[in-house]
Amino acid sequence: MKEIKALLADDEEQLRKYLKAKLAEVWPDLVICGEARNGRDALDLIAKHHPEIAFLDIRMPGLTGMEVARKIAGACRVVFITAYDEYAVEAFEKGAVDYLLKPVSRERLEKTVKRLQEQIAAQSKPPSEISEKIERLLAGLADRKGMAYLRWIRVQHKDGVRLIPVEEVYYFQAKDKYTTVVTKGSEELIRKTIKEIAGELDPDQFWQIHRGTIVNARCIAQVGRSLTGRGVVRLKDRSETLTVSHRYMHVFKQM
Amino acid sequence: MVISGKKINWKKFLSALAVTAGLNTLIAIFLTYLGHGKGFFINFIFSQSIGLSICAWVLAGHAFFPALSPLSTLLVTGITMCVGTIAGSFLGSRLAGITLSAFLQGEPIPLAQLVVLGLLFGSIITYFFFSREKMARADALVQEERIKRLSIEKESLETRLRLLQAQVEPHFLFNSLSNILSLLDTDVGNGKEMLTDLIRYLRASLSRTREKTTTLGQEMELVRAYMNIYKVRMGDRLRYRVEMPNHLQDRPFPPMLIQPLVENAIKHGLEPKIEGGEIAVLVQDEKDLLRLAVCDTGVGLDEKSVAGIGLANIRERIQTLFDGQGRFILEENSPSGLKAILEVPNERNQGPPRG
Repeated sequence: MKEIKALLADDEEQLRKYLKAKLAEVWPDLVICGEARNGRDALDLIAKHHPEIAFLDIRMPGLTGMEVARKIAGACRVVFITAYDEYAVEAFEKGAVDYLLKPVSRERLEKTVKRLQEQIAAQSKPPSEISEKIERLLAGLADRKGMAYLRWIRVQHKDGVRLIPVEEVYYFQAKDKYTTVVTKGSEELIRKTIKEIAGELDPDQFWQIHRGTIVNARCIAQVGRSLTGRGVVRLKDRSETLTVSHRYMHVFKQM
Repeated sequence: MVISGKKINWKKFLSALAVTAGLNTLIAIFLTYLGHGKGFFINFIFSQSIGLSICAWVLAGHAFFPALSPLSTLLVTGITMCVGTIAGSFLGSRLAGITLSAFLQGEPIPLAQLVVLGLLFGSIITYFFFSREKMARADALVQEERIKRLSIEKESLETRLRLLQAQVEPHFLFNSLSNILSLLDTDVGNGKEMLTDLIRYLRASLSRTREKTTTLGQEMELVRAYMNIYKVRMGDRLRYRVEMPNHLQDRPFPPMLIQPLVENAIKHGLEPKIEGGEIAVLVQDEKDLLRLAVCDTGVGLDEKSVAGIGLANIRERIQTLFDGQGRFILEENSPSGLKAILEVPNERNQGPPRG
């Protein structure tokens, strides 16, 4: 019988050792053709050795185990390993992808090994729909992360670049080609146009109220009208007011 | 507090007199309208004298005899009103230059009638000021309640944030336990050491949630235990150092502020980086402030990184713990990684004396 090769991928050395030792007990004939300590190495080693099985840790630097599985797209059978990830585990239970929880117990490993041996003996190909399943899993996980809006403002300071969380910004004000970022107690100039920023911010949290002004909705204390009928925004904790141009009055009229 | 206050509040005293004077004028107009007395001028003098006298006596009475019970308040009010009425009547007659009986148009028992009138008038004034006082007191009570509620809210917010921060991450726990399990097969000595560190970390995490302050020394021990665990797990991918002046060991410090920064640096900075990197925890005793920095050489923050929940939590805690006197700054480290800096007021007097 042809020898069966497996690849182990985990960024933690002890955990690779442990799995290797446990596999040696449960499946002495299995050849470990490579050990990867990150996702990229795993991908290279799979391409080089063409193992029948890949044990992939989910959280790895470089590429995650799931990203590796997607890239190899059914080239070998995949068993995911995770310490704890309620979402992923739930997803695995729905899909037919095999997974192991760390620390891997002998009983659980025996079950997995038995299933792998049966599939390989039946010479069934790695299920082609597996990559679809992983695709769906990844899409589900990505959904949870939400849209990629701007979350940090990089500001040049005398001792380096400071990162200000966008939630702390009261408003952005255009200033020539740059933009002034105003927080509760500071004003900083950044090298970005207001237009660039407008496109990157979460529109639910930041409202454009003027061609040159974007305000953080959570920092608005009051919206009123001036004697000339223009909208005026009063802020929490800051004394200045912001003008709402006619073009953007609709932002408040919906309320 | 005019009535029942031990100290006389002159501003309120005068404002009470002014209101009374206005009332008196109305009474004088009313009496004149009824055709009573000898014209508005005389009525005005009498009503002002009697009214102001009652008011002054009642207020003075309450200022000097604090209200001990409803009965004593009633007694003080009654007596001062009678005295005020009589004194005011005589004052009025002197000022107007006519006798009392002339003013009262020869009624049979003028003084008794005057006293009844005075009592009525005084009761109205007393009631008026008492209710005003009561309202002010109710307002003060509401204010007090609000302050109390706010401070309770602040307290519970801090507790909640601390609990959140002290949560042991399951991923961390299970990965660490798996490592120990493996070490028990291959390197028992190291396994025992790691288990000791994990116990130290767990004990600190669990008990810290109930404590409000700990010391910088204890916090650093927790941080070291935490990094030791990661050192075993990550091997040569992690290097770390802790630098803190020795005299800061016993300085009181809020729990679970430094460790989450280290956790953040490892989780979001070094773990995702293939070659790993270094963490430096630096504590500096500066003149007016204590500066704590957790610097890593990890992957750093992308402008769209979501790595903010733990950090936002710390920011909020710094605000509540130090009443806006503390700062949390995030900077980019060069050539890569992040510097998380806490700047808090340097309260050196609070520490126990060093032997």
